[in-house]
Amino acid sequence: MSWDGLIEGLRSFVVWVMDVSSVPIIIYFLLINTSLLVLIGLAYLEFRAQQRRRATALTWQGAGLAPGVSLLVPAYNEEAGIVTAVKSFLTLRYPRHEVVVVDDGSSDQTFARLEEAFDLVQVPRELPHEVPVRARVLGIWVPRDGRTRLVVVRKENSGRSEAINVAINAASEPLVAMIDGDSILEPDGLLHVTRPFADDPTRMVATGGAIRPVNGSRVVSGRIVRVEMPQTWIPRIQLVEYLRAFLLGRTGWSRLGGLILISGAFGLFRRDVVVEVGGLDPDSIGEDFELVMRIHKRMRDEGRDYKVEFVPEPVSWTEVPVTATVLRNQRRRWHRGLWETLWAYRGMLFRPKYGRIGFLALPYYWLFELIAPLLEFFGILIVPLALLLGVVNVPFAILFLVLAYGYAVLVTLSAMVVDEWAFHKHDRWRAIWQTIAASVLENIGYRQATVWWRLEGWWSSLRGKKHVWGVMTRTGFDEDPA
Amino acid sequence: MVGAALLVGATVVILGACLLLVILVVAVRARRHSRNQRDEMLLSPLRPPLITVASGEDDDGAATEELTWATGVSRTVLDRNIVEMLTKIRGVPADQLVRVLEVHGAVDAAVADLTSRSTVRRARAAQLLGLAKAEHTVPLLVTALGDEAMEVRNSAAYALGPIGDPVAAGPVLAAIGAPERGLPAATAAEALQSMGVGISEVLRDGMGDPNPRTRMVAAHLSGERSFTRGLPELRRLLDDDPDVTVRETSATAIGRLGRGEDVDILVRHTVDSEPLALRRACVIALGELGDPAAVPALATLLADADPRLAELAASALLTMGPDGSSALLGHEDDAAVRSARLMASLQRASA
Repeated sequence: MSWDGLIEGLRSFVVWVMDVSSVPIIIYFLLINTSLLVLIGLAYLEFRAQQRRRATALTWQGAGLAPGVSLLVPAYNEEAGIVTAVKSFLTLRYPRHEVVVVDDGSSDQTFARLEEAFDLVQVPRELPHEVPVRARVLGIWVPRDGRTRLVVVRKENSGRSEAINVAINAASEPLVAMIDGDSILEPDGLLHVTRPFADDPTRMVATGGAIRPVNGSRVVSGRIVRVEMPQTWIPRIQLVEYLRAFLLGRTGWSRLGGLILISGAFGLFRRDVVVEVGGLDPDSIGEDFELVMRIHKRMRDEGRDYKVEFVPEPVSWTEVPVTATVLRNQRRRWHRGLWETLWAYRGMLFRPKYGRIGFLALPYYWLFELIAPLLEFFGILIVPLALLLGVVNVPFAILFLVLAYGYAVLVTLSAMVVDEWAFHKHDRWRAIWQTIAASVLENIGYRQATVWWRLEGWWSSLRGKKHVWGVMTRTGFDEDPA
Repeated sequence: MVGAALLVGATVVILGACLLLVILVVAVRARRHSRNQRDEMLLSPLRPPLITVASGEDDDGAATEELTWATGVSRTVLDRNIVEMLTKIRGVPADQLVRVLEVHGAVDAAVADLTSRSTVRRARAAQLLGLAKAEHTVPLLVTALGDEAMEVRNSAAYALGPIGDPVAAGPVLAAIGAPERGLPAATAAEALQSMGVGISEVLRDGMGDPNPRTRMVAAHLSGERSFTRGLPELRRLLDDDPDVTVRETSATAIGRLGRGEDVDILVRHTVDSEPLALRRACVIALGELGDPAAVPALATLLADADPRLAELAASALLTMGPDGSSALLGHEDDAAVRSARLMASLQRASA
């Protein structure tokens, strides 16, 4: 076949593919954008209500019905920051909370640092086995002063989920909050996320708080003293993603009664409910998502009256990846976790007893979270090819791209308005311009790369490849001496 | 052609909307900055007398008097700051600041604002009336408990707390379970906490309410306030309430105010057919009760399959004097007993 013939064949193929796919893709495009508009609308309604609440906010110091909270902190090789983190957790404004640190077989000085800082003494305690755990517990320590509400458990290394399950067994309060050791909590964060439990103590089973990237901010003794923008574009763009996910997505879903995802960096649960469903699944990649799905399933299977709510106030700050390598690993893991959990709970789809979860939230996650990168990848392949072969009108294609990415920017800007209106965490004007720039730049390269990484994660799961946890290289905070 | 025109139109709309949102972000920030600056400028001359009053140093009333002279927007900004301060201060300084509000007409204005169309105005008005302890407005605030907006109901309940009139206890408790217009349990509990002993009957009735949140608040407060009149209802809730959270709350309350005869009922719910959280709550309550009659049951629990329950039982026994200590004989090597002893000794050493 001659070169011209080959090109002609390819051109015919591309034309055929575009003919066949154009209508479904336009329908998909309309559906995804309409769903985003609906979520923006719901988030707007929720924020209007939140704004009214904030304008009439009453000081609540957690008196009366505030349930006790156990902060569960899994730690693996965190010698650099663990003492500061635990001290900051212990001094949060809350009337009754304890910190349970599980040293997951660290090979560094994590335990030694804690032992020295808090003068730990070993307790001959046996932990309950309410949540099954495979790894061996090596011992339990408490501070010698008898007052500081800290429990340190050492165990053989077996991963974050198992470490949290051990912490659940060691926890003594009715609510458990799962926190990463490198997260920074707002001083009033616990008061915000426990409030729904105090307001509706018999129905509330889980709440999630908003997470923000801490990169670039000034941190002193485990507290943020000045919120700043990250210094490079990769974390800046993630800040934009976090704004969108938390201020539009989860707020909208919470308003709709269909919240199925609570971030692993900060989630608060009723301990008895987590125990009842068996704790975190140590074999799951998306263990946080999986846990929330399991809770929904159990509650609805048993016809129980329950609530899962999202609290839009910023509660926790976390360090996000600064390099493409770490980001790639994270996105692969997230998408793999999404796929495996959605697949595991496919039986809940369109079943009346699962209500909005089965009819709205899960179909949305299948269509617009799981499949979206596949279709976007298809677009990334076919559009340049079609342009190259001259089978599409160039101005038409450019307009379509501008429309598609312009819509993405619009969604981000909506989240920005909400953030500025309700929380205004960034003082500097420069932060506004940088966030706007990040929302545009996100569509040039970053978005396409994450599409590919998400597909990689999905593909590796379909091929049954064992997931290898990457190392999240922390650059640490710009800690000033206290 | 139609497709292209549509695409151009949609793109223009989207880009226009983006531009509008950018302008909106900037406008929101600029407005906030200018408002903060204006408030700061208006408040700065009034800040010294305000601090004098708030810190309790206005012995001759001169600073209070000076604050009453504020007019116009300054007065509005000052009143807003006073309301905020009243959430934190008590006693004479609070009374002086309330007087400033009264002279400014803020209390009368708040009464009028209770029927405003604005949710925020109604809610703030209710809060101001509570902080100003405007007792004559209790009937109005009770009516506001049924307001269509949750913020107003919440603020009205909050306001009834500082006023502390027990007449409002029944409506506050009933508002928790009001269909479609319920009151958050935490606010109701805080308001009821501030009311006098006259609410014990109301709490007793509340424990028979069909709504589990109402029963829980009533049970919790009966324990907190040591209202022994509610004991029969607490026992009934512990025995057969369909909601396990209500049962746990009742067990805790019985531990605080129960009597010797309550040992049996608490022991009955430590059996392993009961939910674990309830069993633990009952063991803790037995320890709180401190009645030696519980010793045999607690001693049996030292061998329970749940290590935490066993340790809680050991800790409870350690607080029961010689009877409790003798029940631990023969269990010295049990992890639960060793752990409980160590924790008790650490706590003793730090006391």
